[in-house]
Amino acid sequence: MTIEEQLIEYAKQGKLLTHKCTKCGYLHLSTAYYCLKCGSKGFEDVVLDGEGSIATYTIITVAPAGFEKYTPYAFVVLQLDNTHLRISGFMAGIATPEDLPVGTRAKISGFEDGCGIIIKKQ
Amino acid sequence: MTFVEKVCVLGAGSTKYGKLAESIADITTQASVLAIENAGIDPKEIKASYISNVFGVADKQVHLGPVLMSRLGIPDKPSLTIESACGSGSVSFREAYANVAAGFYDCLVVTGVEKVTHTGTEWTTTYFAYCSDFFYEGQAGASFPGLFASMARAYLTEFGATEEDFARVAVKNHDNGFLNPKAHMQKKITIDDVMKSPVVASPLKLYDCCPFSDGASSVILCSEKFAKEHGGDYIEVIGSGRGGSPAALQGREQMTTIPSTKIAAADAYKMAGITAKDIDFAEVHDCFTIAEIVDTEDLGFFEKGKGVQAVREGRTNLNSDISINPSGGLKSKGHPIGATGVGQVVEVFDQLTGRAGARTVKDAKIGLTHNFGATGASCAVHIFQSV
Repeated sequence: MTIEEQLIEYAKQGKLLTHKCTKCGYLHLSTAYYCLKCGSKGFEDVVLDGEGSIATYTIITVAPAGFEKYTPYAFVVLQLDNTHLRISGFMAGIATPEDLPVGTRAKISGFEDGCGIIIKKQ
Repeated sequence: MTFVEKVCVLGAGSTKYGKLAESIADITTQASVLAIENAGIDPKEIKASYISNVFGVADKQVHLGPVLMSRLGIPDKPSLTIESACGSGSVSFREAYANVAAGFYDCLVVTGVEKVTHTGTEWTTTYFAYCSDFFYEGQAGASFPGLFASMARAYLTEFGATEEDFARVAVKNHDNGFLNPKAHMQKKITIDDVMKSPVVASPLKLYDCCPFSDGASSVILCSEKFAKEHGGDYIEVIGSGRGGSPAALQGREQMTTIPSTKIAAADAYKMAGITAKDIDFAEVHDCFTIAEIVDTEDLGFFEKGKGVQAVREGRTNLNSDISINPSGGLKSKGHPIGATGVGQVVEVFDQLTGRAGARTVKDAKIGLTHNFGATGASCAVHIFQSV
C-alpha cells in the first residue's frame, strides 16, 4: 500500500494514521517523509482516534464538479485532540453557520471516493 | 549575494482583462507586442522569454514559449513556461529577474497569460481546486473560495471583524478599478451590493471574490546598462523575495496569516534596504477580500488583526496612508491567474512612469508587488523604484 492508501484505510475505520519522528518525537500526518523539526527520516506509526473540535470551516454553495449533489456542504479543518495536528475533511448536511460553530466536537468517520476524508459532528 | 547587473523594467503592456474571444496564443502575443512597443525595442534584441501560465491545456495550448517566440519572429531564442498556480506571474518574473541580475541575459520578455472563462464556472472552479493540496483539500470538496472562506471564518472568530468589513475591501477596489480602462469589472459597487450578493462559500459572497478572467500582461526586463543605452522611461527593481508555506491550510500554525508572504517580504525589504513604511503603494494579492486584509498585515503595513481597522478608516484608499491596489486589484481589475503577477508589475510601471491617469498615486517613488499561488503556498514580493 502507498502512504496515501494507508492513511485512507485508517480513515475508513475513523482513525488517523500519523508519523512520529523517532529522533525528536515531533508528530506529522503520515504523508510526511522527513521531519519538519529535525529533518530526520525515521518515523514510527501512531494511530490517533480522529476526534477533535472544528478549528475553521466554510459552507460551500458553488461546488467543484462532482460535489453539486451535496450542496450546501461544509469543508472543515478539524483540530485533533491532544496534539498540534489538524486534518481537513468533508462534512455533509451543514446549511448555515448556526449548524457548526467553531469549536464544535467532531470526528473522522470514514473515507469515500469523491468526498475524501469524511468528518461528522459528535 | 552579489549581482552582476542592476535590473530594470523598460516597457509594459496588458490586454484588457475579462472574457476574451481570442486564443491563448493570440493574447500572449498581443500583450508581448504592447510591451515591446512600449519599450521601443526591436524584438530581435530579446534574448529569451519567461511565460507564466497555469491552464493552457484548457485552451489546447501548453508549451506557449516557442509559439510566442515564433510569432515575434525570434523562434531561435529560448523560452521557459512556468506554473506556480495564481503566483505563476511573479514567480516567473523572479526567475527572469535572477537571470538578468546574474548577467545571463541583458533583455527578456516576461509574459503571463490565462484563458479559462470559456470552460464555465463549474469547471474553472474544479481546475482551480487542483492548485490546493488536493489529497487533503480539493478531494474533500474545497473550492478556492472555500479555502479563503475558511481563513475568513478564522479571522472573524479571532479578531472580531465583520462581513461588512470584508465588503469594504471590495468597494474600495472597485472604486479604483472604475478608473482602470483595462479592468474586467470597471464598475463601482456598494457595501449593500456585496452583502446582498449570493453566498459562494460562507462567509464569502460573490462580490468578496475576484472574477475568473482571461487576459495577458507583459513586461520587458533588462539590465540597467541596456535601459540607459536605449533611453526612454524605465524603473528599477530594488528588491526581490520569495517564500513558501505549508501547502494545506491545516498545516499552518495560524490560519489568519500567510507565512510565505512574511518570508518573501522580509527578503525583498532587506535587499532594497527599506521597510514597509517606505512603500508608497502596493499591488497585493486580493483574490478574495479577506486575502487583502491578511496581506496588508503580513507585508508589515499594519499589525496583525489591525488590517481590518485600517480598511474601516479608509487608510488603504487611493492616495490615503498607503494606496493598496490602485489598479483595482484582482477583485476589480480581474485575475487571469497566470498573468496576474506580471500585471501587477505593469501597474507599478505605469504608476512610476506617469501613465496611470486618473488612478495615479501622487508623488509615488516606491511601489511593491505581492502575488501568491494557491492559499499562499508559494509567494513572491518585488519592490520597484522610479529612476
